Formats: sequence, structure tokens, C-alpha cells
Amino acid sequence: MSAQTTNPLSILKRHLRTACAATALLLAAGSAQAADLNALIWCDHADPALLQPFEEANGVKVNVKEFEGTGAGLAIVEQSQPGDWDVMVIDSIDVPRGVEKGLFEPLPEDKLPLADLFPQVKMDGSTVVGGKRYGITEKFGYNTIGFNKTKVDPADMQSLAALTSDKYKGKIAIYDYYLPVIGMAALAIGKKTAELTEADLPAIKAELLKMKANAKLVGEVTASQTALATGEVDILVGGGEWVTAGLAKENPALDFSIPKEGAVLWSQSLTMFKDSKNKDMALKFIQYIMSPEGQARLATSSCYWGMPSNTKAALTDDQKKTLRFDEQPDFLARAQSYPAPNADLDKKMQDVWTEMLQAQ
Amino acid sequence: MRRIVRIAAWLYALAVYGFIFLPVIVLVLFSLQATSFPIPPFTGPSLRWYQAVLSDTRLTSALVNSLAVAILSSAAAVTLGFLSAWGFARFTLPSSTLLRGLITLPLTVSYLIIGMGLLVLFNWAGLPKSLLAAGIGHVVINLPLCFAIIYSQMGDHQINIERAARDLGAPEWKVLLLITVPVMAPAIFAGFFLSMTFSWDEFVISFLLTRFDTTLPVEIWNLLRSGLNPKTNAVGSLVFAVSIVLVVLFELTLLRRTPA
Amino acid sequence: MSTVTNSGRALPRAGRALPWALVTPALGWTLLFFVLPFIAMGFSSLTAHDGGGFTLANYSQFFTDPSYWRAMVNSLQVTAIVTVVSVLLAYPFAWILAEQVPERWQRLALMLAVLPFWTSYVVRSYSWLLVLAQNGVINRTLTGLGLVGEPLQLANTRFATVTGFVHFFVMLLTLTIFANLKQLSPSYRKAAADLGAGPVRTFLHVVLPLTLPGIMVGAFLTFVLCIGDYITPQILGGNNELLMPQLVMMQIGRRGDFPLASALSIILMAVVTVAYLACARWLKIERA
Repeated sequence: MSAQTTNPLSILKRHLRTACAATALLLAAGSAQAADLNALIWCDHADPALLQPFEEANGVKVNVKEFEGTGAGLAIVEQSQPGDWDVMVIDSIDVPRGVEKGLFEPLPEDKLPLADLFPQVKMDGSTVVGGKRYGITEKFGYNTIGFNKTKVDPADMQSLAALTSDKYKGKIAIYDYYLPVIGMAALAIGKKTAELTEADLPAIKAELLKMKANAKLVGEVTASQTALATGEVDILVGGGEWVTAGLAKENPALDFSIPKEGAVLWSQSLTMFKDSKNKDMALKFIQYIMSPEGQARLATSSCYWGMPSNTKAALTDDQKKTLRFDEQPDFLARAQSYPAPNADLDKKMQDVWTEMLQAQ
Repeated sequence: MRRIVRIAAWLYALAVYGFIFLPVIVLVLFSLQATSFPIPPFTGPSLRWYQAVLSDTRLTSALVNSLAVAILSSAAAVTLGFLSAWGFARFTLPSSTLLRGLITLPLTVSYLIIGMGLLVLFNWAGLPKSLLAAGIGHVVINLPLCFAIIYSQMGDHQINIERAARDLGAPEWKVLLLITVPVMAPAIFAGFFLSMTFSWDEFVISFLLTRFDTTLPVEIWNLLRSGLNPKTNAVGSLVFAVSIVLVVLFELTLLRRTPA
Repeated sequence: MSTVTNSGRALPRAGRALPWALVTPALGWTLLFFVLPFIAMGFSSLTAHDGGGFTLANYSQFFTDPSYWRAMVNSLQVTAIVTVVSVLLAYPFAWILAEQVPERWQRLALMLAVLPFWTSYVVRSYSWLLVLAQNGVINRTLTGLGLVGEPLQLANTRFATVTGFVHFFVMLLTLTIFANLKQLSPSYRKAAADLGAGPVRTFLHVVLPLTLPGIMVGAFLTFVLCIGDYITPQILGGNNELLMPQLVMMQIGRRGDFPLASALSIILMAVVTVAYLACARWLKIERA
């Protein structure tokens, strides 16, 4: 790694020299330069190991802004000037929401490796709207049960009922994102995640409250990863390869299961903005992310790991094993889609989630 | 009896010092961790995480951003604060109490609310998020502080010196630059320094108002969100070291300026 | 300013232009970037998230949804605990620094007491997480010494949030109370002693009342900073309960719901204002 050979002092000095430039930058801030690519992303895309090869190959700077939920991401776009953004990472299932708002540009199918994708994650029901492709799935995985196999009985992890049983009281963390965990609660009570309505919420809430009563904490990506990796808890509700794979080196006892009720499939897509001033570069970026090399880097990004959607991703055998690459057909067959509520139901789901957080 | 009080006092002080220093010691110790988790057992010492921080361009440029925002916003806050303090202290203005109250009002409001307000306003005005926007927010929180410090230090003896200068025919701007500013220098410096500190460490306003280029606390927050590793300890220890150097410099300059 | 250069020769009666020119920039800044945003937030709080006109729905959500006002109750509880505990810890400490430590070491002792102030604020909470974690320093020590069998759950609790806050505010309050104690003229104490008061009565009837304003200023600062803080509960509380700032940030982070976030901010602001009015008489800024 070049990081090992570079003298830290010289790097610091270089940065101090740019202090003056930063002043000018401060004044010019806000209006990004034309040569930049502005991407609205999740934290896995912020990894320099992913971005730098692209930046160097194309002589472009990729500015990234992380966001949490689709609602917040779309709000960021709406508060920006047209043309501020070039590409966006979004839940595959939410692509139509952006299309409805007239934000996205159709993608040229012939210039993308669609034929190499796992067919189950192409999600054409969402990524293709009105016969035009607006999104391409880049990465996917499962919100399911992540656990430490030396501390729990793996057989118990084959059922979501374990999450609400007394056996694991105080040994559980819940991933703090409402959609997938509400999806898991729905599976636990025998509902299909794609068909949730407001009428299902009371039962889902009851299930969530039972999980909360068993839980030690409700944490974001880091907090829940840490809790699992350091032995603070033994089970992570909503966990999956995105937690266990990245930590496999530090803690090889971490594993995940797809219980008999099923799991929630998460899938993220790349989209391009209609008002982008830099569409050629935006397409190049999407092509890079979808290429075997880009896919491998994205799949093993520092923030969280996940399955590459491209079957030809240039992963090592070890990485494939960690991601359980070969078991995907079986997993996919048993997974259900991410809940995709409309704005009204979304708000009600968040209120249920708030109630769960506040429950003592 | 006195002995017992004394011993109890020392024990108590030691306990509080222990409480105050415990997280700092843990922070610095585990920044030297050799493995990937900053929790016991200690596996270091190793400098690999410091190297990781210094070669992370997002962190280093956030550091530069933070310094720039802190210096510029503090300079603006102290200038506005000084001018207004001078105005209110030297001249009788109508409804002076009310206006002074208005200037110091932001002191009583949480940063979160100030940040939220600016976010809503800038959205509404169509202004993009930027370091400049965060800097504006930092002036809002630091201006009342600078004003309060400088205003409270404007005593009568300074008025007399200024009057003497005017009597000798000095124009107002000369009085300001050659008399008032030097005389008020400790207060001005204290205001600037405190503003720097608050801006340097401020999170929520920068978090709400910046976009790509952001300040160090926000970047540390991002780092924290993307996984627990001793890199956060390393960057925290570095910030601590930089701050200590600044404090010591400040102490030295202030001590030099304050006549015994 | 050039128009008034020579008019103030004897006394600062420099016409009307100069004083206004001095105070207008600061006033303008405050109006433009503090008052106006507040008004904008007020308007925003009265609109619906999905567009549309005037509505009180954002406020009624807060008052009718128990999980929302529960956040305010939590915030007030945590803030009250933090303020009381911090004052109780800091006062004796400041007193020891001011009375028991030899004069020449006081400056150094005080510097040391606030040194961790200079660690970054985000990092400070994170460090406490490391200290309090299941396998953290405290639990390792306790189990190592055989004092507890099972590690205690310290992290991801309200206790952790309060600890993180108290750590910060003990330092802050030590500063303000120390300054206050040093301002007390020794003659007060001497007078009390001459009148036959013992050390306890001197403290209760002379020192404590005289330092009360300083305590109030510190306590109010603690209140304002604590009730508006997002980072500490977010990092240390484990989301086992929500405080108001977390609820506000959730509206922005998850759904970009500015109107609801605005309404919640205004409610929070109203509570802080009540606290301000309660201690207003101690909080005047006076010229030396």
C-alpha cells in the first residue's frame, strides 16, 4: 500500500500549503466545478479504495454526500439547484419515487452489463418504469439474523421466533433502520413484505415491542456492528453479510442465517440525474461501478460489505467464501422484497419505529 | 479534624481528576492499538492508525476546512462584536438595553435550533449548503460571546485614555486603531480564541449546513459511523494534541500581555 | 465613518452616524441570520411535509403522540439529572482547587482539570463508549478484580448518556465556580469568623449565597447545552430511548421532514426560554 510508504509529515505539509487555497475554496464553496462528479451516496461509496481508481483514470473529482433514508435523499435533491447532482445511490425499490418526481434520466441498457447480473436482483419491477430503465442494481444482501455462532445455538437461528424468546433476552441488538426490521417483524407474523398495509401495523408493532424487550440496544451500522463484534450482544436483528463479512477477519465466529420465515432482500441501485451537467462522466461512473473491478471494490468497501449484483465481480475466492457467493441462489429464492410504503404509510411506519425506540 | 478534611479533600480531588482523565487516557492509549478494535486487551504500541489518518485525504482536508472556518468565522465574530461593544459602551443609543439583549440572545439558544433555523432559511432562499453557510452559523454563535466579553471589559479608564487621545486631536478612526484596539487587545484576543475553540469543535451546525467539503467534527462523525476502529482514536488524539498546543500558545501570549 | 472624524474632539458625541455604524453590522447579522431563520422556521413549522397550506398537524403530533412528548420528558429528566449531579460534583472540586491547593499551583491545577475539554467533542463521547463497553476498561477491571461476576451493562444506557454529559459539564462548572470563589473577598469570611461563625455556618450563610449567582450561570449554561445536544445521547444512549434533539435529527435524516423538525425545534426552544426566564435575574451581563 502506498499509505505505508508515504511519509506522514510530508502529507501534512502538503495539506498545510493548501490552507490558503482552502480560503478561496470557502468562498467558492457550494458551486462545485464542472469537472467534478457529484454523487449522493451511501457510506460504502465513500471508500477511497473505490473512488480513487476512477478519479485517477478519468481526471475527475468525485464529491460524495452521504444520506440515510430515501426520503431524506430526495429532500436533499429537492433543496438543491437543478444540475447540482449527477448520480444517486437509492434503494432499488424506491427508484420509481425518484422517477415520479421527474428526477432521473433513462440509462442506456446496451452500455451496461445487464446480462451479467443475478437475474433475481435486476428488480425490473422497480428499476424499469414505463418501459425505460432508470436504475441498475449494484449491490444487494439480506436483512436477517446476524449472530455469533460460538455463543448461540445456530439451530435456533433458523427461526425468527428466537428473537422474541426469553432464551436470548439481553443478548440482542436491533439495527436502527425501520424499513428492513419492520419487514422482518412482518415475516415473523407471517405477512408478505410486499403487501403491507396500515392494517398490519398494530401486529407489527406488537412484534417489534417484543423484540425491543429482548434488546440491549438499537444501533446504527457502527453501533450494531461493534456490539456484535465485541461480544456486547450475540444476535443482531437486521444483520446479515453486510455486518459479518466485513468483520470476518476480526471475528470469524460471526455468521448469518436465512430463517425459515425468510429474510428481507436489500438492494441498492445506481441512477443518473436528468439535470446532470456531466452525463457522460456520470455514465462512465456507473459503468465503472458495474465493472468486475468496481463491483469487487464496492462489495468489499470499508463501510459495509455486500453481494455484488454482477456475477462476474472480480472477487478473490476468500472474499466469495466470506460473502457466501455460491449459496446465493438458495438465499434469493427465500428472500422477500424490501418494504416500499407510500409516503403516508412511510410516516406511520416511522412513528411505529419511534414508539418502539421509546418503549421501556 | 482539619487533617481529616484535608485528606478527604485530596482524595476527592484525585477521584474527580481520575474521572475527568479516564476517557482521555483510554482514547490515547487505544490510538496506539495494533489490532482493529480499540478495546482491551491492548495490543500495541503501533503507529499504524496515525499513518492511516494522515494519509486519509478526507480527514486531512476536513482538518484544513475546520481551521479555515474557525479562523475566518472567529475573525468576523470578533470584529462585529468589538465594533458593537465599542458602540454600546461609548455612546448612548436609544433602547440600548434591548438591542444589547438582542445581540446576546443567541447565547441562550441551542446550536441545534440555530442550525435548523439557518437550514430552513437557506433552503427557502435557495442557497446551497457549503462551508460558507456553516461559517455564517459559527459567527451567529460566537458573535454574542465576543460582544459579551469585550463589552464587559470596557471600563472607564479606557474611556479616559480615548478622551485624552481625542483631546490631542486624533480622529476617531485613529483613536479606534491606535488606542482602543491595543488597550482592549486581551479581551479581543480572548474573544477570538474562545470563538476559535467553539467553531473548531462545533458539530451540529456544520453537519446540517455543509455538503461535500465539511469540517473535522463532521468527518469524524462519518468515520465513526462507518465502523469502529482505532483510527477514530488516532484522529481524536491528534485533535487533542493540536488543541493543547493552541491553549499553551494562548496562555503564553496572554501571560505575556497581562501585567502582573 | 469619515464624515464624523473631527466632531468628537472633546466628548464622544460623534453625531448619530458613527454609533449606528458601529452597532449596525452586529445587529444586522443577528437579525438576518438569527431572528429571520427563526421566523422562517416558525412558518415552516405551520406547513405540511408534503406541501400544502397552513396546518397545526406538526404541533398536534407532538402533543398527541406519547412517543413524541416522551422525548421531551426524557430530555428534561436527563438534563435535570446532569445539571444537579454536575453542580454537586463540581462545587466541592472547585472549592478544593480554590481553598486547599497552594496559590502558586492553582493555575496549573485548574488547567489540568479542564484539559480534556480540548478533546474533540464527538470523540469525547466515543471515548466514553470505549470506557463503558461490555469489554471496556471498567468492566474488565471489575471482573478482573472479581468485584462483579457478569460484566455490567454500562454502555448504551441512560447512565452512559448522563456520564458523558456530566464529564463535560463538571469541567465547565469547575471553571465558573472556581472563578466565582476566587472573586469572594477573604474579608467576608473573616468577618463571619470574627462574629463567631464556625466554618460550616460561614460556608452556608456567607460563601454559598455569594457564589450562588455563579452557580446559576453555570447551571443555566449546562441546561442549554445539554438539552440541545444530539451527539452524546446518540453515541452513548444506544437508542434505548430518544431525547428531543435525536427526534429532531430523525425527522431530517430519515424523511427530510423540515416542518416537523421545525415544530419540534420551536417546542424545544420554548422550554429553554422558560428556563431562561426562571434564572434571568442571575444572567445579566454587566460591565466591569
